[in-house]
Amino acid sequence: MIIIMAWRNIWRNKMRSLVIMMSVIIGLFAGIMVLALYKGMLQGRVKTVIYAEVGHIQIHDSNFKKDYEPSYILKNGDDILTQLKKIPQIKSIALRSITQGMLSTTTGSAGIQINGIVSESENEVSQLSKKIIEGKGFDPRKKNEALIGKKLADKMKLKLNSKLVLTFIDSSANLVSGAFRVAAIFQSDNAPLDERNIYVRQNELNDLLSIAGNYHEIAVILDKNQNTEIIKQQLQKQFPDKSIESWREISPETDLMVNTVDVYSYIIIIIILFALAFGIINTMLMAILERTREIGMMTALGLNKLKMFLLVLVETIFLTIAGTPLGLMISWLIINYYNKHGLDLSGMGKDLMSSFGFSTIIYPEFPIEKIISVMLIVIITALLSSLFPAIKALKLQPVEALRK
Amino acid sequence: MKLILLLLFGISLKTIYAQSATSIVKKADEKMRGTTSQAELIIKTIRKDWSREMEVKAWMKGANYSIILIKSPAKDKGVAFLKRKKEVWNWIPILERTIKLPPSMMSQSWMGTDFTNDDLVKESSIVEDYTHTFSGDTVIDKRDCYVIQFIPKPQTAVVWGKLRVCIDKKDYLELYTEFFDEEGKLINIMKAYDIKNMDGRLIPTHMEMIPTEKKNQKTEIIYKSILFNRSIDDNFFSVEKMKQLN
Amino acid sequence: MWLIKMAWKNMWRNRNRTIITMAAIFFAVLLSIITSSLKTGVFDNLIKNMVSFYAGYIQIHKQGYWNEQILDNSFSMSDSLEQKILSEGKIIAIAPRLESFALASSEDITKGCLVVGIDPEKENKITGIKNKIIQGHFFNTTDNAVMVSEGLLKRLKLKLNDTIVLIGQGYHGSTAAGKYPIIGVLKFGSPDLNDKTLFMPLQLTQDFYSAYNVITSYVLSVKNTNALSSISNNIQKKAGSNYEVMTWEQMMPDVKQHIQTDSANMQIIQGVLYLLICFGIFGTLLMMMAERRFEMGMLIAIGMKKIKLAGMLLIESVFTVIAGCSLGMLASVPIVFYLNRHPLKIKGEPARIYERFGFEAIFPTSVSSTHFITQGIIVLIIGLLLSLYPVYKTILLNPVNAMRR
Repeated sequence: MIIIMAWRNIWRNKMRSLVIMMSVIIGLFAGIMVLALYKGMLQGRVKTVIYAEVGHIQIHDSNFKKDYEPSYILKNGDDILTQLKKIPQIKSIALRSITQGMLSTTTGSAGIQINGIVSESENEVSQLSKKIIEGKGFDPRKKNEALIGKKLADKMKLKLNSKLVLTFIDSSANLVSGAFRVAAIFQSDNAPLDERNIYVRQNELNDLLSIAGNYHEIAVILDKNQNTEIIKQQLQKQFPDKSIESWREISPETDLMVNTVDVYSYIIIIIILFALAFGIINTMLMAILERTREIGMMTALGLNKLKMFLLVLVETIFLTIAGTPLGLMISWLIINYYNKHGLDLSGMGKDLMSSFGFSTIIYPEFPIEKIISVMLIVIITALLSSLFPAIKALKLQPVEALRK
Repeated sequence: MKLILLLLFGISLKTIYAQSATSIVKKADEKMRGTTSQAELIIKTIRKDWSREMEVKAWMKGANYSIILIKSPAKDKGVAFLKRKKEVWNWIPILERTIKLPPSMMSQSWMGTDFTNDDLVKESSIVEDYTHTFSGDTVIDKRDCYVIQFIPKPQTAVVWGKLRVCIDKKDYLELYTEFFDEEGKLINIMKAYDIKNMDGRLIPTHMEMIPTEKKNQKTEIIYKSILFNRSIDDNFFSVEKMKQLN
Repeated sequence: MWLIKMAWKNMWRNRNRTIITMAAIFFAVLLSIITSSLKTGVFDNLIKNMVSFYAGYIQIHKQGYWNEQILDNSFSMSDSLEQKILSEGKIIAIAPRLESFALASSEDITKGCLVVGIDPEKENKITGIKNKIIQGHFFNTTDNAVMVSEGLLKRLKLKLNDTIVLIGQGYHGSTAAGKYPIIGVLKFGSPDLNDKTLFMPLQLTQDFYSAYNVITSYVLSVKNTNALSSISNNIQKKAGSNYEVMTWEQMMPDVKQHIQTDSANMQIIQGVLYLLICFGIFGTLLMMMAERRFEMGMLIAIGMKKIKLAGMLLIESVFTVIAGCSLGMLASVPIVFYLNRHPLKIKGEPARIYERFGFEAIFPTSVSSTHFITQGIIVLIIGLLLSLYPVYKTILLNPVNAMRR
């Protein structure tokens, strides 16, 4: 009986029902949107570091990182590799030979890190091919080619096909040098990194280093960032004598920034939920002012207080249930649109963006794993807010209420 | 600029090409060095705002061994550099310490000059690393010279695109060299003059290296004396011996 | 005039309604001010932390130093230059530095390191270097001793109170060599700094490099970080073209870019907040109109002109919005100031990374007056725009329908 009454009530006062439904829809939308933005943002931020620079996890000989001495190759690297390939969370793996050395040209010389890479796996792990702004990358028909960063190229006045000489110590601490030609110039978001790193083919560098078939670094990309710590610990157990680091340890500055934004976002989400709750409560309170007379009437007609309370509650539950899928759908549609097309922020804070000419586009992501909690929060807020009219209804004196 | 150092530290001669241009280069190269040499030199570093003069003594044997000892200025007196194969050791008497120069030091300037530490150890040979062709004749200081074009062989660790070297026809003296990058831009000029007889050989005793890009900057090397082909034991080029020099 | 009076009376007559509407505005202002000031505060604090590990907000070098960081690109320390820089006024601290490369060596191991000559007290004011000492103690201006970063010390297999040998290239090509006792060990969060820096008193560094009275940079800390580029331009003018004046943004463009991106992203989230605010206010107004339909219909039925009625409603709304806004702004002042003095502290895992860098894990608000004013005005405008809704509704009102219950 109450359910039928509630149903009728909803249709009787369409405006009020619409507003309450809207409050749920907008509330849900806002909550999901914030989480989606936050997720997209965090991923965008971390993405550059993980997917363009360090990967999720790196494995080295435990002595290698101290001085980057090329003699500290990753011993039993191939065994490690076989083990890594068995871990389902690992999506791609890049092997790198690394040495510190010097680049010289006719204009002068610069200290650099030389990375011996295999193009295919490097493109998967650090998106190297996407960073190339000039040239095509390694040409299978040519030998001794190098990829260098834009900033280094400018500094050393190097162009495509320019010659450069690399000098470094090999695995037995002898100085060796080799001539290379610029096959491509790349540019990433991290200019200091571009200035320090140059890429050559792994087999060529290995020959010069006399470490044929070996390498110093394994960089690993996982299926998702959340698995970083677990996999790291698992690997550490499997290879206790190797140094296994996550991107957080390799780039603590990024971790610091991500962390700040992370915590800040939680604070903002709390504020947003506050705003949401206030919005709903205010609307509901207004709604009960409007309902005073109606409630008074029904009480006067003999509806008991418990039933009255339930009636209001059932009404709100109906509206919330109707609003939830709508809210979810709208958010999903909008987020999906921006997930594909990106949300360009350059219009919003022009002064913020213009000075360095970076276009800031974020790709919000539907926060599937948090949907339930957002839904719960919004629904609970809506229900709690609807209790106000219900409670107020309990206190109402029918005579007083009717006297309006 | 690397060439001077190569001259100072010796260049290995292994294969001889029958080509006449190459044989001229080989003769010129041989002229400045014997199997061993001991030289007293003055190195002047000239910069826009300052200049500095160093007196050094240098011993060399083949391409693998050399020692440079600083005699003046007083603050640096006794500092010595030993090159054994591809390693460089630095003796600092006031600290009584020898230090092996790590690779990270290699791009640093050597004693403030236009040379880097890397130039001390680099194994590059004007005979072996280039192909040589005649490209004309010229006259320098009233001496008839061949003009020989040097093109680095592919895959050799040489930064230059091309060298134009003028070698005296009679005495095989390298008198004037231009260093070009790959785009044909002139980067450095080396001049050699003041031809004197030293230890029975006629050699230019004054050299200048001038980077064309940098105004009012050059490095000069002046030979005060040089002795060729005196026998020096391999053991002379050791850390212990370097410490005892003075 | 009577319209205003009536509006005023209406507001008092139905206090519940007025309070609810005002509360909607009040919380909107409060929340958006807190969000905005927190955003600025958090990012300013992050920048402060980032620049204070090493670079400082502004650095002054000899023209060309940044591109070619060698000892010969240094300049003479002079009181007159320092006075010129300080005359800019907004500068809290200035510290001279002489930075160059050297080889650090223990008995058998030799590593390259960055030697930084500092004025101990002045440097401490900018980078708080004293707090980074994990062993031993800070040196005095005249001490003949060095402080070594933890990573470098480990690489050289040395410990506190051992002697470290330094060899490098001095000013104008002279030899720089010396041995010094290690009196302090420093720990930096940034691996770059932690693995290869060594600090010496400025004068000792100048002696070591034979670079008498010469420095490579002045590092400045400034009061008003918003005006950084104008301060930097002014200093550039005063110092002349022989010097280059650089802000942290120019020295660390990558950090600048990250912060910009993050802060722009936060802008969007603020946008979502406005959306919620609009909704909250609109919902309230919507229900208010629903509740007042009968009343409105009655007033029109008894002969009140719609335009007057609309005017009255507008006045009511304007009063309510302004009152809500002002109250919200007033209430936010103590809250924002409180959160500035007693910032939110984070604990647990997120705090660990802050500790690693030696920062306090705090999230302070910014007390700059612009937040109160801008956010107040934004919500005011939103409120005023939305109060056009009742006006619009009134004009469309059909009294007969309205009075039908």
